[in-house]
Parts: sequence; C-alpha cells; structure tokens
Amino acid sequence: MSADLSRLLNAIGLLAIGTVLALAFVDQIWFRELPCPLCILQRAGFFAAGFGIALNLIFGPKPSHYGVAIVGAMAGGAISMRQILLHIVPGSGSYGDPVFGLHLYTWAFIAAALIVVGCAIMLLDDRQFSRAEPMSVRLKALPLSVLLLFLVLAIANVFSTIALCGGGLCPESPKDYMLFHIAPT
Amino acid sequence: MMSLPFVLFACALGAAWLRQRGVAMGFWLVGLVTMLVLFRVHVTEVLSIQL
Repeated sequence: MSADLSRLLNAIGLLAIGTVLALAFVDQIWFRELPCPLCILQRAGFFAAGFGIALNLIFGPKPSHYGVAIVGAMAGGAISMRQILLHIVPGSGSYGDPVFGLHLYTWAFIAAALIVVGCAIMLLDDRQFSRAEPMSVRLKALPLSVLLLFLVLAIANVFSTIALCGGGLCPESPKDYMLFHIAPT
Repeated sequence: MMSLPFVLFACALGAAWLRQRGVAMGFWLVGLVTMLVLFRVHVTEVLSIQL
C-alpha cells in the first residue's frame, strides 16, 4: 500500500468518525436529546481516536499514530461498555431513544471496535511506513477538509459542553442547558 | 470541567496542524488522562449485575 492510498483510507476513516460526531450533534440539536456525562465522554473518546488518524494525515502514516487511535478507541469503547452494562439487565431502563434498534452508546461501542479493527488491518501493511512521501496534490483537498471538519467539531463540542454543563460536572440526566437555561420542549 | 478533554484535543489538533508533533502528543495524552479521570468521577453507580 502506498502512502497516498494509506492517506486516502485514513481520510475516509476520519470522515467516518467526523460523521458519527456530527450525527451526535444532529441528535442533540434536531431531536433535542441532551447527552449524558458518559455520552459526552464517549464523544471525547472519538476525538482521542480520531487524533491518531489525523496525525497520519498530517505527518504521514506511522505505527505510533495507529497506536494513538487504538488507545483512544479503547478508552471510548470502555466508557460505552460501562453504559451498556448499566442498562443490560432487563428493567434497568436505558438512556435516549434507540436508533435502528440499538441505543447510541451501543453504536458507540461498535464504532470504537471498528476503529480498533480498522487500525489493526492498516497496521498489517508495512509498505506505507517504508518512506515518507510528500502528499500529492490530488489528495490534498480531502484530508485538509476532513481535518478542518474534525477541528470544527472539536471546538463545537467545547461550546456545547460548556452550554450543557457550565464550568463543572454534568448532571447525570441533563434536562436543559445549564449555561443558558434553555429547556428543550 | 467536562469540556476540558475537548479543549485539550482541539489544542492537540491545532499543534499537529502547526506541525508540532511532540506538543500535540502531549496535549493528547493530557486530554486522554483528563477524560479517564472524568470517567472515574462519573462512575458512581454499582452495576446491578449478579453473577
């Protein structure tokens, strides 16, 4: 696999993570489903994982960058698993509405597992690490726009979380935005 | 406080964009630790699982 192909696959991977994070915002803003503290930390896990992939786009593919992505995905996945276990016993309730039959924290765990598997598969090909190639002109637009999207989503999550939780810890089951006190109807 | 991981990951991305790899990795590591500490703070309920 050439470094260019590796960058393209990494850009697609980061785009997929960005899409997940954007959909979380759609759920929060459009469907007015406010994220719980664990949900917010799962989003942070996606950023921790996506950062490794972003490093591959900026500095070129390296095993350590995939390691960063795997560690981030495992941390996010552990948080998702905790939330799954909270509600795994029948009658112990759930948080939020299911999407295609599964709750968002279950989807988050599946996505984290897919990131780990994806990185492991990418690590199988050593040729992408053999030499540092400059990024070709053809591939510049996609990685740059995906990186920009990822950075914008990170900054948007800063403001969203401050709006939701203020300067402290988030309530276990938020009913409104603490900073503005806007109650979703 | 809950926004801290996002702030740190955004700083990590910004540093990477400016090609400061070491600084970026530092921000990422601190962000990850912050995320895990906040996770620990929020894990207050005992799981209702009896094995």
